[in-house]
Amino acid sequence: MDVATLSFGRKTLKILGKQKAIVAVALILIAMLFSSSNIFTRNHLFAFLVVAAPDLVIAFGVTFAVICRACDLSVGSVMCLSGIIAIQLINSGVPVFIAVLIAILSGTVIGFINGFLIVQQKTEAFIITLGMGMLLKGVALFMSNARPVSTQDPAFNSISNSTIIGLPSIVVYMLIIGVLAYCLLRFTSFGRNCYALGGDYEVAEHSGINVVRTKWAAFVITGTCAAIAGVLLSSRINTGSAIYGDLTPLLVNCSVVIGGTSFAGGVGGIAQSGLGIAVMHMLRYCMRMFRIDGVLPGINQHVQTLVFGIVIVAIIAMDCYAIKRKKEDV
Amino acid sequence: MDKSDIILSINGINKSFPGVKALSDASMEVRKGTVHGVVGENGAGKSTLMKILSGIHTKDSGTIVFDGETIEHTTPIQSIRRGLSIIYQEFNLVNTLTVGENIFLGRFKEMKGLRNSHKEARKLLDSIGSTIDTHSLVSDLSAAEKQMVEITKALSFDSKLIIMDEPSSSLTADELKRLFVIIDDLRKKGVTMIYISHKLDEIFQLCDIVTVMRDGFIVDTKLINDLTRNDMIAMMIGREIENEWPERPRCAGETLMEVQNIRTRKLKDISFELKKGEILGFVGLVGAGRTEIVRAIYGADRAKDLKIMINDKLLKIRKPADGKRSGIGLLPEDRKLEGLVLSFSVKDNITMSSLNNIAKFGFVNTSLENDIADRQIKALSIKTPTPHTKTKTLSGGNQQKCIMGRWLELNPDILILDEPTRGIDVGTKYEIYLLMKEIVENGGSIIIISSELPEVLAMSNRVLTICEGRITGEFNPEETSAHDIMDAAIGGGD
Repeated sequence: MDVATLSFGRKTLKILGKQKAIVAVALILIAMLFSSSNIFTRNHLFAFLVVAAPDLVIAFGVTFAVICRACDLSVGSVMCLSGIIAIQLINSGVPVFIAVLIAILSGTVIGFINGFLIVQQKTEAFIITLGMGMLLKGVALFMSNARPVSTQDPAFNSISNSTIIGLPSIVVYMLIIGVLAYCLLRFTSFGRNCYALGGDYEVAEHSGINVVRTKWAAFVITGTCAAIAGVLLSSRINTGSAIYGDLTPLLVNCSVVIGGTSFAGGVGGIAQSGLGIAVMHMLRYCMRMFRIDGVLPGINQHVQTLVFGIVIVAIIAMDCYAIKRKKEDV
Repeated sequence: MDKSDIILSINGINKSFPGVKALSDASMEVRKGTVHGVVGENGAGKSTLMKILSGIHTKDSGTIVFDGETIEHTTPIQSIRRGLSIIYQEFNLVNTLTVGENIFLGRFKEMKGLRNSHKEARKLLDSIGSTIDTHSLVSDLSAAEKQMVEITKALSFDSKLIIMDEPSSSLTADELKRLFVIIDDLRKKGVTMIYISHKLDEIFQLCDIVTVMRDGFIVDTKLINDLTRNDMIAMMIGREIENEWPERPRCAGETLMEVQNIRTRKLKDISFELKKGEILGFVGLVGAGRTEIVRAIYGADRAKDLKIMINDKLLKIRKPADGKRSGIGLLPEDRKLEGLVLSFSVKDNITMSSLNNIAKFGFVNTSLENDIADRQIKALSIKTPTPHTKTKTLSGGNQQKCIMGRWLELNPDILILDEPTRGIDVGTKYEIYLLMKEIVENGGSIIIISSELPEVLAMSNRVLTICEGRITGEFNPEETSAHDIMDAAIGGGD
């Protein structure tokens, strides 16, 4: 009987380990039932999605990098840089469409450079994208003179702040990118090759997959998504600033892992990453609902950061525990 | 038989993994001071049994008595301290540390410091007649030397029983002889050894007693003198096999591929040609450059001035993807490292190379993909519960078949097989030989590299000997004796 309960406990842990993001979301939602404010309404859902949309778009991109057994820590700087580029171009008279396109392409180019350094020069993704992030941060500070920039152009403002078929437009864009990324990763040979080379680079190479091109492309996608997120964010709040996105790369990379896309490469997916981001943003949203950030005025941000840290550490620890169990199983 | 003579006795061991019964009622006894062979096809349960002994797996039921002590629950470190060491096929050494540090890893305190550890390591190495410097890094050692270090490490724990899992798979013939001398020496000193191997010759040469396993059962334990080679094979596979090799195919035709001037750091001016429908064998010692040649052809390694012509058309091959496009397939030497994504399913591993061919506008056609997997699983009779089973749960032979299936689906003109039967059981070996025959009969060409000389000689139409990065001879295996070919491969030919 002792053994039975033990194995039952292990089994439950194993299942929870696999579905931890869903469990976390469920727990948060249950907690919200006891909140005075009613979160289960359309408006709340939209408000939540609008805030989470930029991070979600970044996470969709980062998923590609993580599945290829890499990561991208430059996404935060790419995001703030692309926002600044878009706004400054518009302010200097460039048509909105062109400005946005150039801003997005800036991310594509940075992704391309990241890919070159990582795939061709064989650098470690973690450290090179960290450095790239700092570099771009410098560029952003320089370009914006370390001040927030904004534009009067209503067309730019309306990119994220209008409605399309009854939905906030930023959410629609996020969903479109999500679906595209999902299909790309799930149904195309490119996506499957990403999984293969993340699972085992050598094997993928030996089975004739063009590993260089595939991994490179993954970084281009990551960079592009981050730049799109930058445009969406700066349009939503009509501001571009070099101070945005400091924590974004950590938050997004962690959320992707929390969702179930492993840093060990080869497993995971877009939907999981979306869930991972949902966990983090729900947490933030709910803390606001519970007024956790208002209990002691002045330390609100600290409490939030503390809770984020606890959740990340706990979930990653569970993740690794599940992997450990799995290894001992076979 | 005297009871005190038994060092290890296991009784009625059962072990199940999800979906598989790995061991059923396994019982055997190992006598003190003997070399006890354990043979069986892959998946027969040998490794599982050894892993239970060492404490990596826990048994479901049964008893283990080691050295008069009943062992209920054990961990790897406890078993080692009790005097039961295992030397795995993949060595368990820290590459970045020195030999002395590796031998006494985690015991520096007991040894009263690093200097004493080195001193003690020296003594132990001397005792088995090895001259390895205890201060050299393990990463600089050859496979044979690493094995010496492993044996020394086992001895440093005063092991009464040393289990060796496929110790010969990475050794050259000379190194193997030295290993045998050491094993013999240890036997005289009263150390008991369990020797697991696929190579029956070694078993007959070395062991006193043999246990044959099949499908998780222990078929029988017998004195080696009471057994013939054919008996043993029959016990292993449960039926008699008449031949170890099928009849040699003779389909060689026109010249298909010409390779000129492979030059790398290791290879010197390698040029040869391959005919359509031919099986070309490369013979040489481990490290002679056989693998490097095929890796250069396939594009896995860069080579200077390399000229490859297929059907008189000059090819540019810079990376494996180019090799694949040019109709060359490679079954790599190390199937776990370079051949399979072990965490992927059988289906995913098989279709890995063909995805681009069955994709429309980049989108993979899933039903075609499943067809491919089903077709190859059936054609190669891969034993897997479902196509979605992870490849790491399959036996070595079936894993190898998955990689074969991946390439056969692409139907390459040239298939390069690098050690296709390493670590594979007798039954599956024969199936792979038949497959090779089928490939050349259908117009494909094969280059085969193998450390098992009889296999190359029995299957090839032509043999090239390679020694220290050069081609030292070309032979027709039907006309030349194995001895002459080996002579050229060792470098004594000219």
